[in-house]
Amino acid sequence: MIGWLLAAPALAVLALAFVWPMAGLFRISLNRTTETGAMETALTTESYAKLLGDAFIRELVWNTLLLAGSSAAIAVALALPVALMVRAASPRWRGPLALMAIAPLLVSGTARLIGWMAILGDNGLINAVLMGLGLRDTPYPLINNWTGVRIGLIESLMPYAVLVLIAGLGRLDPRLEEAAATLGAGRLRTFLRVTLPLAAPALLAAWLLTLVLGISAFITPRLMGGGRVFVLATEIYDQALEYVDWPAASALAMLLLGGLLLLMLLRAAVARLGRQRA
Amino acid sequence: MSDAAPHLRLERLTRHYAGAPAPAVDTISLDLPRGALLALLGPSGCGKTTTLRMIAGLERPDGGRILVGGQDVTALPPHRRQMGVVFQSYALFPHMTAAGNTAFGLEMRGLGRAERARRAQVALEMVGLGALAGRKPRQLSGGQQQRVALARALAIEPELLLLDEPLSALDAKLREGVRDEIRALQQRLGTTTVFVTHDQTEALAMADLVAVMDAGRVEQLAPPEEVFERPATRFVATFVGRAARLKGMLEPGGVLRCGGLALRSTADLAPGPAEAFLRPHRVRLLAPTEAPPPGFDNLLDATLARRVYTGEVIALETETGAGPVMAELHAGADEAWRGLAPGAPLRLAFRAADLAVFPAS
Repeated sequence: MIGWLLAAPALAVLALAFVWPMAGLFRISLNRTTETGAMETALTTESYAKLLGDAFIRELVWNTLLLAGSSAAIAVALALPVALMVRAASPRWRGPLALMAIAPLLVSGTARLIGWMAILGDNGLINAVLMGLGLRDTPYPLINNWTGVRIGLIESLMPYAVLVLIAGLGRLDPRLEEAAATLGAGRLRTFLRVTLPLAAPALLAAWLLTLVLGISAFITPRLMGGGRVFVLATEIYDQALEYVDWPAASALAMLLLGGLLLLMLLRAAVARLGRQRA
Repeated sequence: MSDAAPHLRLERLTRHYAGAPAPAVDTISLDLPRGALLALLGPSGCGKTTTLRMIAGLERPDGGRILVGGQDVTALPPHRRQMGVVFQSYALFPHMTAAGNTAFGLEMRGLGRAERARRAQVALEMVGLGALAGRKPRQLSGGQQQRVALARALAIEPELLLLDEPLSALDAKLREGVRDEIRALQQRLGTTTVFVTHDQTEALAMADLVAVMDAGRVEQLAPPEEVFERPATRFVATFVGRAARLKGMLEPGGVLRCGGLALRSTADLAPGPAEAFLRPHRVRLLAPTEAPPPGFDNLLDATLARRVYTGEVIALETETGAGPVMAELHAGADEAWRGLAPGAPLRLAFRAADLAVFPAS
């Protein structure tokens, strides 16, 4: 009872700032867009039907999943050595190291992306070096395309992957790796036969979380894609502000939300499975 | 190599953790013959587990050498040492079955699937778990997990078997049985074994040699009976078994002046302040006027202060002119003795050799 009371302010804010607008959004998604582009109050699933039947939207869903899925996988793969290093560190270094690994979160995402632009752009650091060394005559396109978006996304997802992995690996008893060593397994075989299989639930949990964040990412595709990369989040923005088709934008947002909720449930199920196994 | 050469030799082995005021293991040297079981006995933090981990190669010594069969293994990583280790938490691989756990070391040695399955089964049957080979660790009881850990360590036919408090996670009832089983198995296989424990009963019951450790040093290395009956240092006298402590002045000839009484001892120390330890089972109980049996040089008049019934023995705490002294009665003693109430007068007799005398600290 006292718990509910203490949570009341937060719940009120949540209701006011999330549930209420979401309900409004859902209501708008049921409205009709007329031929002239004006919105007409109605109760229809026309927008949903139109979106689900649209080949471009289907391609967009596929592109988004591919981008977020691959970026999340690479981010998790890059985060694993970092998390293993934090785990292997002595207790007094573990805190500072973990903080360093997630320090990018302390800088605004937009600021970091502008930094990436300076590095990856046609006149950026990498191309300047490549051309200065005579390895290339023309700049290598690292930005305003999928490559750029992927690089930006991987970098922004990594801290989250590191956090999830540190928590997940923390439950992994280091004695297990010592036992493998005494039984004759070298470092690589200990990693492949003991560490990796036992880290699998943590890896999956980290991938699912970063996948969700990747799918809903907006600023990264927007800035690093230079208007040439289309994903669901940018499409919602375009539908709402470029085409002013609010019912379509709302319906797309609702579909995205549904998909993400499904993934979050999957993540919770995976976490439960991981706890049962340990 | 000859049987006389030690199978395991530690030479001035030292481990000093960064930032720690004193070394965890301080210049330990000892020899262990082939086939013997050594118990490292001591309170927590005495360095016994660190010593075991250095033998296993899981921790690097800061000084000294470890020799196995005459070979210096100090620089070898754990996976090249052929050590069968049973961890305190067992450290069974949760994603593998009992058979998979037991076969792991054989797999690492490149044995074929059929051969390692056969040998894993043999090892599991050796510990009485042949029927549970397909179970995962979480489907096994604590005692069964402990056996799988033992089978896994023995399956690789290790040079040395290293056990880190292997019984501490078991309940008391189970502990004694498993203790005797491990000892029987170890003797049958003739595996040279090092065993870490803080439980003196375990150490005395299992070991051929006991190394009593304190503050990173070996206080005494001797067979169990010698450790118990002839403690080499004050620490051993207080840590192993119960003993009454009598403080006094040692005079030439081994006479201890203690509260106005003169006790005879076999101490060969410089005269001065001293402490003597007397184990309860060494004290002979006499009636108030009874003469001591021949050979019992020391006689004390005492008053019973407290009587503690513990089942098999009745512990008696008495007050004497030399200080409090403990004695004990077997539960099968005469009714007249068992019925003694606090305040009853007694006579205590013991031999000069029963007093373990050390210079007072």
